[in-house]
This record gives sequence, structure tokens and C-alpha cells, in this order.
Amino acid sequence: MGIFGRILKVRLAGDRLECEHVPLDPEVHRAFVGGVGLGAYLLWRFAPAGVDPLAPEAPLIIALAPLLGTPLTTTAKLAVVCKSPLTGRISDGLSSSSFALAAKRLGVDAIVIVGALDRLSTVHLNEELHRCRLEPAAALSGASPAEVGEAFAGAHVAAIGEAGERRVRFASLANDGRHAGRGGAGAILGAKQVKAITVRGDAIATVADGEAMRERARDLARRSRGAATDKYRRLGTVSNLETFDRLRILPARNFQAVSIGRKRARKLSPEGLGAQGGHVRAGCAGCTIGCDHRFGGTRLEYESLFALGPLCGVEAPELVLAAAAACDRLGLDTISTGGTIAFAMECAARGLVPWSLRFGDDLVPWIERIAAREGIGDRLAEGSRRLAASIGQGSERFACHVKGLELPGYEPRTMQTMALGLAVAARGADHNRSGAYQADLRPGVDRFAADLEETPPRVIETEDHAALLDSLILCKFLRGAIADPWVEGAELLAMAAGIDLSGAELRAAIRRIVGLRHLFNRREGWTIAEDTLPERFLSEPLEDGEVVSRELLQGMVAGYYRARGYGADGALGGAQLERLQLGRWLEMEP
Amino acid sequence: MVEVELYGLPRLYAGGERCQVPAGTLREVLLAVEARFPGLAPAMLQGGAVTELVRVALDGREMIESADYPLGEGAVLVLVSAQAGG
Ligand code: SF4
Repeated sequence: MGIFGRILKVRLAGDRLECEHVPLDPEVHRAFVGGVGLGAYLLWRFAPAGVDPLAPEAPLIIALAPLLGTPLTTTAKLAVVCKSPLTGRISDGLSSSSFALAAKRLGVDAIVIVGALDRLSTVHLNEELHRCRLEPAAALSGASPAEVGEAFAGAHVAAIGEAGERRVRFASLANDGRHAGRGGAGAILGAKQVKAITVRGDAIATVADGEAMRERARDLARRSRGAATDKYRRLGTVSNLETFDRLRILPARNFQAVSIGRKRARKLSPEGLGAQGGHVRAGCAGCTIGCDHRFGGTRLEYESLFALGPLCGVEAPELVLAAAAACDRLGLDTISTGGTIAFAMECAARGLVPWSLRFGDDLVPWIERIAAREGIGDRLAEGSRRLAASIGQGSERFACHVKGLELPGYEPRTMQTMALGLAVAARGADHNRSGAYQADLRPGVDRFAADLEETPPRVIETEDHAALLDSLILCKFLRGAIADPWVEGAELLAMAAGIDLSGAELRAAIRRIVGLRHLFNRREGWTIAEDTLPERFLSEPLEDGEVVSRELLQGMVAGYYRARGYGADGALGGAQLERLQLGRWLEMEP
Repeated sequence: MVEVELYGLPRLYAGGERCQVPAGTLREVLLAVEARFPGLAPAMLQGGAVTELVRVALDGREMIESADYPLGEGAVLVLVSAQAGG
């Protein structure tokens, strides 16, 4: 019901693949719901402690969700979970659309891929295991994910681009024009010599209460069409840029500035971008919102716009769109791409490296060098943390990452709830697993000065909310149409999968998921020293004097862990594991 | 006068980017904005208050909501979408 109670384990070795169904404990979905929660559980179970993320034994997990395949709007999504080759910590990225729906028709709740092949191949997965097979993919080497999709026209395909093949540490996995971008899942598939995965099956996860589900699906679709989602539908997230510029939140020139000025911001507004060859709108399969805005044929959202635009000093809309198209074609996370190039630009401007790379340059040649690991591109392909370590000369101070993951488009010095959210996020600097920026824009919250007592619970609330939506999985852009996500989340889970949890029990499950992610990081070497921000934000005030207080941040990090019920140093002892009811899940054998 | 700037959804619903209205309390100012841009009601503004979809930043900084908040001559109000996700 809504779930199948088993996973598909795919073992790759040499020129062979073995597929088997592995039953899941019937309590797993009660404990971890699905999506990123299920993915965290499977990662704990299948990743050997201390594994090199690019080693054959490192798993790549595609976790599906209880609401996937139901008629509920915005639920055609999956989670890609791994130990990140960029951060060495847990990484979970969402991707959407037809591939997710087709993956569920394999009749499983997740796909776990381990091992590696000896040559580039496509993995064809089938509901009938004897039909699973490999196909040599040498002819597809260097192809874009879209070209791979065309090569398997009619099939449902997820693929890596050239960047994944070259193990760029922030390479994405793409399907249907969407990317599971952050953290470098594409590099893991590249290391396994898997160019693409196709899925084919006819299994249907029966919904526990079909009539209630159909009724709720109609109701949710109606709510999804209201003013609460208009921003995403009619403007797209790119409209954030002009607003953020006005509020002095917009990171520019590698976080050296928080505004590019009204006129320049206007050029990168939906209207300005639309002047570059038109503006059309699309959406994921089955979505009644449709936030996918394409300008001159290129899909663009705020994070890509900020990272490939103001962050790198690029002002011309056509240059930003060309850079975004290049990332799509080569299979790269746009935030880490822009963040790493912006860092290199500042290093060049300061004379730390002799590279002909200037703020405002056309990014496409650099993006191509990164994907091909050509020349200096090979160093940039390692991400800003490793690049800073190799450049030295104090450059680490302005390498803008947390745990190795480049920062998204929210300036921490003028969004100090977000500052804590970024510092403590398990997958590194992250706007998708922490929605702390929402708290910063609430009346009554001073976004320029965090509070030792009040800020940590605000961060926890937005983190838990995000983990809930990412486990069910429901698109976050629907959140404005849901009055109480805990109550409605529990109802949807019961309707879809027959899992009866009270709102409080669902909260406990989400806290368990957050706890398990943290435990995974601890197992892989995390210490509380990682939960900080780059030195720039702690010691370089903005022009109006805003800076993040180092002492306050340290105090808030400790407060965050205390408020979560952990030790102030992030330790999770026996009593805490007992309270989270995590103990039994930590002992599962692969 | 109070300068009012509109971004994101408020701009979309208003069909305009800025206006000037007489100084007064936040409620009085928002009523004047509503009269100037009727498209803002009822989704964005209702009876001199913002809905949950809108935030009001004084001079682009502090988010304010109290109906009695006094806005003097030369104040700048920035109306933005409440949802900042991207
Ligand atoms: S709102 Fe956007 S991201 Fe969310 S499901 Fe719809 S099209 Fe996809």
C-alpha cells in the first residue's frame, strides 16, 4: 500500500550486474517515512564506515516515497542519497518528474547501487529481475543527459553528463531536465562507470484509502492553484533576485557585496530574462503549480541565477543563461559551479593565482574546463574547499562553503537565522534542508542579530519541516497551501500507505531522521568544529557593519544541539538514541 | 509622503512598481496603497493589513506588521513576497 516493502539492490562488478529484491523491515516506513528519511536509513545500512565516496563499495541510493505514484499534486519526486564526494558527509538531493514515477513501477521502495563496472555502461532496470541488464555506453561518452534521453527515446532515463564521467566532485544526476544537483551524486555514478539508468515496470503500489486519496488529491490541487503558489507559478523563483537585492541579501562577487544595484537587478528579473528569447513555463509530471520557467529555452531558478550571475559578477542575462545551459548539458550543480568559480575569481583578483579569470567573465569556457578536468579546470573540479587548500595564502578565509558545500544565495550576515541554519545543516551549506531564511523574513525576528535563545528553535523548526516534506515527498513550493503540515502529512501517509501516525509520532519520526543523518556524519568523522561559517562572515563586516559574531554563532550551535536533546558538542549517547528510538536501526546488516 | 516599493507578488498583483502615499500609521498607509492599486486586494492586502503572502520591510530592513506603527515623512516601505524559497 503506497509502499512495496522491499528494495532493489544492484551489484555491479566488472562487466556484470546482479539484481535482487531485499525485503525491508515492515517498520522501516513508520520509522523513516520515505524519501530522504528512507535514504538516510539505507545509507547507514549499506555504506561501510569510512568508505571513500568514489570507491566501488560506496552506495548510491535512489529512495522513493510513500506519496509517489498517488494522484496528489507535486509528489513525482525521488531522493538521491549518498556519502558526498565533495563533503565526505551525507548528501541527499531531490529530483522530479516522470523518471520518479517510472522508478516506483519497478515495484520497490528504493534502488541501492553498489560496486563498479570496468567500462562505461547503461544500467537497464526492470521489474522482472531477469530482464535487468547492462549495455555498453562508450558511444554515449561525453553526451549530455538530454542527449542520453534522446538515445533511449520512449524510456525513462536518469543520466550523468561529462562532469560525472570525469568525477567532478559536484557533478549532478539528471532526469527529465531536472537535476539531483548538490553533493556530487553524478561523480559517484561516474566512478561506477554508469552513464545512465533506465527503469521499466508495471507495478502499482495500492493506495490504502483510494476514495479519501482521490478526494484529497482534488482538494490539494485546488489549494495549489491559489495565491499561495502564485509566486512559483507566475513569476518563478528568479523573482527572488530583485527582492533580495533590495533587502541586501543577494550574494555578489563571492560574498563581497549584498547588492548589485536596482538597474542591474532589474536586468536579471523575470522581465529582463524574458527579453532574451522568450519566457515559457512548464512543470514536473502531475504538478498543478508548474514552477519551471524557461528563458530563451533554458530552465532557470533563483539559485542558478544568483550563482552564475551576481556571485561571479556576471550581469548580462544572455551570459547567465548560457552558463546555466552549459551546467545542464555537462551535468553540474550550478551553485557549486558558480561558488567555486567566484572563489577562483577572487583569488585571481587578489593576485594569489596567475589565472586570467575576472569577475564578469563569460563562464562557459570555465564550466567546460571544469567538466573536462582540463588544465586549471581540474583544480576547480575539486570544489572550493579543496581548491583553497591547494592555493593556500590565506584564501581559505573567503572560500565560501560549509563542510565543503558551497553556499546558496542567502547572505548570512544579513540573515542571521539562516547563518545558523547553514552552519549546522548536515549536508553542508544548504537552503533545501533548512528553511531558516523564512524565519529571517518574519516580523518580530531581527535578521541582523541572532538570539542565543530564540534562534536555535527557529532553525530546528524549519529543518524538521523540510525533512517532513522531503520524506513524504511533497514539493516545498506547496507549503503555503498546507495549513498544518504535521497533521496533513500524517493524514496523507495513512491514506497512501496505511501508516497510522499521530502528528506527534510523525514529528518523532522526523527527529529520528535528522538524528540519523547526524549520526552518519559523526561516524564519518564530523566534529562540532565543522558547524561554522567561513571566516569572511565572521570577520569582514558589510558596509553597514553587519557581521556574524563568532562567539554568538558558537553559542547558538551548542544551543541548537541542546535544543535537539543532544549533548552541547553534538554527541548522541545511549539515552538520546533511546529517546529517538534509533538504537535497533543502527544494528541492521547490509 | 511615504515611498512604497513593490517587488515579487505584490508588484504582480498591483500592476505597478511604486507609489507615494501620505504619511500615517501602517494601516493608513496600506489602505492608501490598496486604493492606489486595487489589484492588491484581497490576496495581498485586506483592510489595511497584509495577508500571510506579503511582508513589509521598513526601509528594506525591519519587517513590521503592527497596524499602529507610525510611518513619518520620507519613510520607505518595501512590500515583498513572504515566500523566499528558491
Ligand atoms: S512546484 Fe515546481 S518543483 Fe514543485 S513539483 Fe511543481 S514543477 Fe516541480
